[in-house]
Amino acid sequence: MKDIVRQKIGINVDIMDMLNEQIKKEAHSSAVYLAMASWCDQNGLDNSAEFFYKQSTEEREHMLRIFRFINENGGTAYSPEVSNVTHEFNSLQEIFESALDQEITVTKSIHNIVGKCRKVQDYGSEGFLQWFVLEQMEEENKIRKILEMFDLMGTDGMALKMIDERITHE
Amino acid sequence: MNLLYQSYYFSSYQCDRGRCFYIDFGHKEVKFSFCQLLSLRQKLQKIDLNSHFDKELNYNGIEILSLCNREHLFVLDTYQVIDLKQLLKATFGILELNSLVTPS
Repeated sequence: MKDIVRQKIGINVDIMDMLNEQIKKEAHSSAVYLAMASWCDQNGLDNSAEFFYKQSTEEREHMLRIFRFINENGGTAYSPEVSNVTHEFNSLQEIFESALDQEITVTKSIHNIVGKCRKVQDYGSEGFLQWFVLEQMEEENKIRKILEMFDLMGTDGMALKMIDERITHE
Repeated sequence: MNLLYQSYYFSSYQCDRGRCFYIDFGHKEVKFSFCQLLSLRQKLQKIDLNSHFDKELNYNGIEILSLCNREHLFVLDTYQVIDLKQLLKATFGILELNSLVTPS
Protein backbone atom coordinates (compact mmCIF):
# COMPACT_ATOMS: atom_id res chain seq x y z
CA MET A 1 0.00 0.00 0.00
CA LYS A 2 1.31 3.42 -0.99
CA ASP A 3 2.16 5.94 1.73
CA ILE A 4 -0.22 8.58 0.38
CA VAL A 5 -0.22 10.50 3.66
CA ARG A 6 3.53 11.09 3.41
CA GLN A 7 3.11 12.16 -0.20
CA LYS A 8 0.51 14.72 0.82
CA ILE A 9 1.82 16.07 4.10
CA GLY A 10 5.36 16.92 5.20
CA ILE A 11 4.65 17.06 8.91
CA ASN A 12 3.36 14.55 11.41
CA VAL A 13 -0.45 14.65 11.78
CA ASP A 14 -0.30 14.76 15.60
CA ILE A 15 2.17 17.64 15.39
CA MET A 16 -0.23 19.39 13.02
CA ASP A 17 -2.95 19.06 15.69
CA MET A 18 -0.64 20.50 18.33
CA LEU A 19 0.34 23.37 16.04
CA ASN A 20 -3.33 24.12 15.47
CA GLU A 21 -3.77 24.27 19.24
CA GLN A 22 -0.76 26.61 19.35
CA ILE A 23 -2.47 28.84 16.79
CA LYS A 24 -5.39 29.19 19.22
CA LYS A 25 -3.01 30.08 22.05
CA GLU A 26 -1.21 32.73 19.98
CA ALA A 27 -4.53 34.21 18.86
CA HIS A 28 -5.71 34.27 22.46
CA SER A 29 -2.50 35.99 23.55
CA SER A 30 -2.92 38.57 20.81
CA ALA A 31 -6.47 39.32 22.00
CA VAL A 32 -5.43 39.45 25.66
CA TYR A 33 -2.65 41.95 24.88
CA LEU A 34 -5.12 44.07 22.95
CA ALA A 35 -7.37 44.18 26.03
CA MET A 36 -4.36 45.16 28.13
CA ALA A 37 -3.46 47.92 25.65
CA SER A 38 -7.00 49.23 25.92
CA TRP A 39 -6.83 49.36 29.75
CA CYS A 40 -3.47 51.16 29.61
CA ASP A 41 -4.80 53.67 27.08
CA GLN A 42 -7.81 54.39 29.29
CA ASN A 43 -5.56 54.96 32.29
CA GLY A 44 -3.16 57.38 30.62
CA LEU A 45 -0.27 54.92 30.42
CA ASP A 46 0.67 55.66 26.83
CA ASN A 47 3.96 53.78 26.58
CA SER A 48 2.52 50.68 28.20
CA ALA A 49 -0.41 50.87 25.80
CA GLU A 50 1.97 51.03 22.84
CA PHE A 51 3.96 48.15 24.31
CA PHE A 52 0.86 45.95 24.40
CA TYR A 53 -0.34 47.02 20.95
CA LYS A 54 3.02 45.89 19.64
CA GLN A 55 2.90 42.66 21.64
CA SER A 56 -0.55 41.96 20.26
CA THR A 57 0.70 42.40 16.70
CA GLU A 58 3.68 40.15 17.40
CA GLU A 59 1.47 37.37 18.74
CA ARG A 60 -0.68 37.59 15.66
CA GLU A 61 2.45 37.34 13.51
CA HIS A 62 3.49 34.23 15.47
CA MET A 63 0.06 32.78 14.83
CA LEU A 64 0.33 33.48 11.10
CA ARG A 65 3.81 31.99 10.96
CA ILE A 66 2.47 28.69 12.33
CA PHE A 67 -0.66 28.94 10.20
CA ARG A 68 1.36 29.26 7.00
CA PHE A 69 3.80 26.52 8.05
CA ILE A 70 0.96 24.01 8.44
CA ASN A 71 -0.64 24.89 5.11
CA GLU A 72 2.62 25.09 3.19
CA ASN A 73 3.48 21.58 4.32
CA GLY A 74 0.24 19.99 3.17
CA GLY A 75 -1.67 20.17 6.44
CA THR A 76 -4.80 22.13 7.25
CA ALA A 77 -4.61 25.14 9.52
CA TYR A 78 -7.82 26.17 11.24
CA SER A 79 -8.73 29.77 11.89
CA PRO A 80 -9.11 30.07 15.67
CA GLU A 81 -12.06 31.24 17.73
CA VAL A 82 -11.08 33.51 20.59
CA SER A 83 -12.99 33.74 23.85
CA ASN A 84 -12.31 34.37 27.54
CA VAL A 85 -10.62 37.73 27.18
CA THR A 86 -10.86 39.87 30.29
CA HIS A 87 -10.79 43.67 30.12
CA GLU A 88 -10.74 44.20 33.86
CA PHE A 89 -7.49 44.69 35.72
CA ASN A 90 -6.55 46.16 39.09
CA SER A 91 -3.17 47.65 38.29
CA LEU A 92 -0.39 47.96 35.76
CA GLN A 93 1.71 45.57 37.80
CA GLU A 94 -1.06 42.98 37.67
CA ILE A 95 -1.21 43.41 33.91
CA PHE A 96 2.50 42.73 33.48
CA GLU A 97 2.33 39.76 35.84
CA SER A 98 -0.54 38.34 33.76
CA ALA A 99 1.45 39.02 30.60
CA LEU A 100 4.40 37.08 31.99
CA ASP A 101 2.12 34.18 32.97
CA GLN A 102 0.71 34.27 29.46
CA GLU A 103 4.20 34.07 27.94
CA ILE A 104 5.22 31.24 30.27
CA THR A 105 2.13 29.26 29.26
CA VAL A 106 3.03 29.74 25.59
CA THR A 107 6.67 28.77 26.24
CA LYS A 108 5.61 25.55 27.98
CA SER A 109 3.29 24.74 25.13
CA ILE A 110 6.05 25.28 22.53
CA HIS A 111 8.44 23.08 24.54
CA ASN A 112 5.78 20.42 24.71
CA ILE A 113 5.45 20.39 20.92
CA VAL A 114 9.24 20.30 20.46
CA GLY A 115 9.35 17.29 22.80
CA LYS A 116 6.67 15.55 20.74
CA CYS A 117 8.52 16.41 17.49
CA ARG A 118 11.57 14.59 18.80
CA LYS A 119 9.48 11.62 19.87
CA VAL A 120 7.86 11.19 16.46
CA GLN A 121 11.03 12.23 14.59
CA ASP A 122 9.41 15.21 12.89
CA TYR A 123 12.67 17.11 12.52
CA GLY A 124 11.27 19.63 10.05
CA SER A 125 8.72 20.89 12.57
CA GLU A 126 11.30 20.81 15.33
CA GLY A 127 13.61 23.03 13.27
CA PHE A 128 10.73 25.38 12.55
CA LEU A 129 9.91 25.64 16.26
CA GLN A 130 13.46 26.49 17.32
CA TRP A 131 12.82 30.11 16.33
CA PHE A 132 9.85 30.15 18.71
CA VAL A 133 11.92 28.68 21.56
CA LEU A 134 14.36 31.60 21.36
CA GLU A 135 11.63 34.14 20.73
CA GLN A 136 9.80 33.03 23.88
CA MET A 137 12.96 33.46 25.97
CA GLU A 138 13.24 37.00 24.65
CA GLU A 139 9.56 37.75 25.29
CA GLU A 140 9.70 36.45 28.85
CA ASN A 141 12.86 38.43 29.62
CA LYS A 142 11.35 41.62 28.25
CA ILE A 143 8.42 41.43 30.67
CA ARG A 144 10.56 40.18 33.56
CA LYS A 145 12.70 43.33 33.26
CA ILE A 146 9.61 45.54 33.41
CA LEU A 147 8.38 43.73 36.52
CA GLU A 148 11.77 44.36 38.14
CA MET A 149 11.08 48.09 37.77
CA PHE A 150 8.00 47.70 39.97
CA ASP A 151 10.17 45.97 42.59
CA LEU A 152 12.66 48.85 42.47
CA MET A 153 10.36 51.84 42.15
CA GLY A 154 7.11 50.79 43.80
CA THR A 155 3.57 51.17 42.51
CA ASP A 156 2.34 54.59 43.65
CA GLY A 157 1.20 57.30 41.20
CA MET A 158 4.57 58.94 40.59
CA ALA A 159 6.45 55.66 40.34
CA LEU A 160 3.82 54.36 37.95
CA LYS A 161 4.28 57.31 35.61
CA MET A 162 8.06 56.91 35.75
CA ILE A 163 7.81 53.20 34.97
CA ASP A 164 5.48 53.94 32.07
CA GLU A 165 7.99 56.46 30.71
CA ARG A 166 10.72 53.82 30.84
CA ILE A 167 8.72 51.20 28.99
CA THR A 168 9.93 51.09 25.44
CA HIS A 169 8.15 49.55 22.54
CA GLU A 170 10.88 49.61 19.94
CA MET B 1 -8.70 -0.38 -3.02
CA ASN B 2 -7.16 -1.22 0.33
CA LEU B 3 -9.44 -1.56 3.31
CA LEU B 4 -8.07 0.58 6.13
CA TYR B 5 -10.65 0.00 8.84
CA GLN B 6 -14.15 -1.30 9.25
CA SER B 7 -16.32 -0.15 12.12
CA TYR B 8 -19.90 -1.22 12.89
CA TYR B 9 -21.56 1.16 10.42
CA PHE B 10 -18.74 2.43 8.21
CA SER B 11 -15.57 1.40 6.35
CA SER B 12 -12.57 3.37 5.13
CA TYR B 13 -10.41 2.61 2.11
CA GLN B 14 -7.29 3.93 0.45
CA CYS B 15 -7.12 4.07 -3.33
CA ASP B 16 -3.47 3.98 -4.46
CA ARG B 17 -4.30 4.73 -8.07
CA GLY B 18 -6.42 7.79 -7.34
CA ARG B 19 -4.19 8.83 -4.40
CA CYS B 20 -7.33 9.33 -2.37
CA PHE B 21 -9.54 7.80 0.31
CA TYR B 22 -13.09 6.51 0.44
CA ILE B 23 -15.54 6.11 3.27
CA ASP B 24 -18.44 3.76 2.79
CA PHE B 25 -21.35 5.17 4.77
CA GLY B 26 -23.52 2.14 4.04
CA HIS B 27 -25.89 3.76 1.58
CA LYS B 28 -23.25 5.95 -0.04
CA GLU B 29 -19.54 5.90 -0.78
CA VAL B 30 -17.75 9.24 -0.52
CA LYS B 31 -14.38 10.08 -2.04
CA PHE B 32 -11.96 12.15 0.07
CA SER B 33 -8.70 13.89 -0.69
CA PHE B 34 -6.28 13.78 2.22
CA CYS B 35 -7.17 17.37 3.15
CA GLN B 36 -10.85 16.52 3.13
CA LEU B 37 -10.16 13.54 5.36
CA LEU B 38 -8.28 15.83 7.76
CA SER B 39 -11.23 18.20 7.70
CA LEU B 40 -13.69 15.40 8.56
CA ARG B 41 -11.42 14.30 11.37
CA GLN B 42 -11.34 17.83 12.77
CA LYS B 43 -15.13 18.18 12.55
CA LEU B 44 -15.59 14.91 14.42
CA GLN B 45 -13.04 15.87 17.06
CA LYS B 46 -15.01 19.05 17.71
CA ILE B 47 -18.26 17.19 18.38
CA ASP B 48 -19.02 17.16 22.08
CA LEU B 49 -20.57 13.76 22.78
CA ASN B 50 -21.66 14.86 26.25
CA SER B 51 -24.13 17.25 24.63
CA HIS B 52 -25.91 14.21 23.18
CA PHE B 53 -26.87 13.20 26.69
CA ASP B 54 -28.11 16.64 27.69
CA LYS B 55 -31.54 17.61 26.37
CA GLU B 56 -30.80 21.31 26.84
CA LEU B 57 -27.74 21.18 24.59
CA ASN B 58 -28.77 18.69 21.92
CA TYR B 59 -32.46 17.82 22.19
CA ASN B 60 -32.59 15.36 19.30
CA GLY B 61 -29.19 13.79 19.80
CA ILE B 62 -28.18 14.26 16.19
CA GLU B 63 -25.31 15.88 14.32
CA ILE B 64 -25.45 17.38 10.86
CA LEU B 65 -22.16 17.00 9.04
CA SER B 66 -21.35 18.66 5.75
CA LEU B 67 -18.44 17.06 3.94
CA CYS B 68 -16.11 17.89 1.06
CA ASN B 69 -16.97 21.59 0.76
CA ARG B 70 -20.70 20.97 1.35
CA GLU B 71 -20.92 18.42 -1.44
CA HIS B 72 -22.44 15.89 0.95
CA LEU B 73 -24.68 16.28 3.95
CA PHE B 74 -25.09 13.62 6.63
CA VAL B 75 -27.42 13.44 9.58
CA LEU B 76 -25.95 11.13 12.19
CA ASP B 77 -27.36 9.86 15.47
CA THR B 78 -25.30 9.36 18.62
CA TYR B 79 -24.32 5.76 17.81
CA GLN B 80 -23.20 6.73 14.31
CA VAL B 81 -21.18 9.69 15.61
CA ILE B 82 -19.38 7.45 18.11
CA ASP B 83 -18.77 4.90 15.38
CA LEU B 84 -17.49 7.49 12.89
CA LYS B 85 -15.18 8.98 15.49
CA GLN B 86 -13.80 5.48 16.09
CA LEU B 87 -13.44 4.89 12.35
CA LEU B 88 -11.44 8.07 11.79
CA LYS B 89 -9.24 7.47 14.82
CA ALA B 90 -8.45 3.94 13.68
CA THR B 91 -8.01 5.00 10.04
CA PHE B 92 -5.40 7.59 10.96
CA GLY B 93 -3.74 5.04 13.23
CA ILE B 94 -3.48 2.57 10.34
CA LEU B 95 -2.17 5.32 8.02
CA GLU B 96 0.50 6.21 10.58
CA LEU B 97 1.49 2.55 10.87
CA ASN B 98 1.66 2.34 7.09
CA SER B 99 4.01 5.34 7.04
CA LEU B 100 6.26 3.56 9.52
CA VAL B 101 6.46 0.31 7.58
CA THR B 102 6.63 1.74 4.06
CA PRO B 103 10.26 1.60 2.88
CA SER B 104 11.66 5.01 2.00
